[in-house]
Amino acid sequence: MPPGEETPQGWSFESSLIRPYSLTGGRTRPSRSDFSITSQVVTVPSAAPEVDPELELILALCARPLSVAEVASRTGFPLGVTRILLADLLDQGYVTVHTSNWERNRPDAATLRTVLDRIREL
Amino acid sequence: MDGALVVIEAEGAGPVPDTLKIVVAGGFGAGKTTLVSALSEVEALHTEEVMTSESVGVDDLEGVEGKSTTTVALDFGRITLDASTVVYLFGTPGQRRFSFMWEELTEGALGAVVVADTRRLADSFDAIDFFESRGVPFVVAVNCFDGQRTHRADDVRVALDLEERVPLLLCDARDRESVKEVLLELVSLVLRLELSGA
Repeated sequence: MPPGEETPQGWSFESSLIRPYSLTGGRTRPSRSDFSITSQVVTVPSAAPEVDPELELILALCARPLSVAEVASRTGFPLGVTRILLADLLDQGYVTVHTSNWERNRPDAATLRTVLDRIREL
Repeated sequence: MDGALVVIEAEGAGPVPDTLKIVVAGGFGAGKTTLVSALSEVEALHTEEVMTSESVGVDDLEGVEGKSTTTVALDFGRITLDASTVVYLFGTPGQRRFSFMWEELTEGALGAVVVADTRRLADSFDAIDFFESRGVPFVVAVNCFDGQRTHRADDVRVALDLEERVPLLLCDARDRESVKEVLLELVSLVLRLELSGA
């Protein structure tokens, strides 16, 4: 077991990660700016490809927009592995990935005021 | 949502929302995860990054045998404000040796919340220094455990040696309304900065 953070009971590094790592082995990781943890991933509706179960799972999850972090969380794959699998799916045209402009530039005052209103309404 | 926004339509899936990211930092046990979860519409969102001991990301098992690896866990929450806007709150990793992750988490963030624990105020210093040195807008939320408000905000401000311009407020990280106040304080700060042209 790797030292450090706690892990679920009985979780074995080897058994749960060998399979997804075998899909990503040898590949370079895509740049973080393409797949920031909040980037939204959406499955292209017309796509119904024959893919590995791990990729099929991601495609099913992203029927509605999900962040990269949520994809990693729901699949249980580490972030690095998730990014590589998403890069594959993006390359093959099975998903689209959108990173918000608000990661590059602060939202304008009108947007911030609306955000304040929405938070109050929660 | 009002304001200048381009909403991207993904065929059949509805609009792809724009996203805001808020980093929640603070010492171990200060209440980061609690705060992150308080308004989150989805429970227990948790992702991991596998790192070698040299803090290098592991994407490939080749050569990993024999290297000791560790898992950095991130707790995060999701708050949908409306069809076109989602806020994500990311808690920073607890252990100090994972502070390198703060750079990645803070990149592209709207701002940050430093959760301070009055029993261990010194644990907040690293986070405060980090955000101050990088000009990241942030607020300090003093987490009052068991609803105790035994500390005055002014006293905590002095104890933290916190600059006057940094908002500080008492909060209960478990309480939705209290956490809303913290987020409102942060977004208000960012709005003031935007209006002042900072």
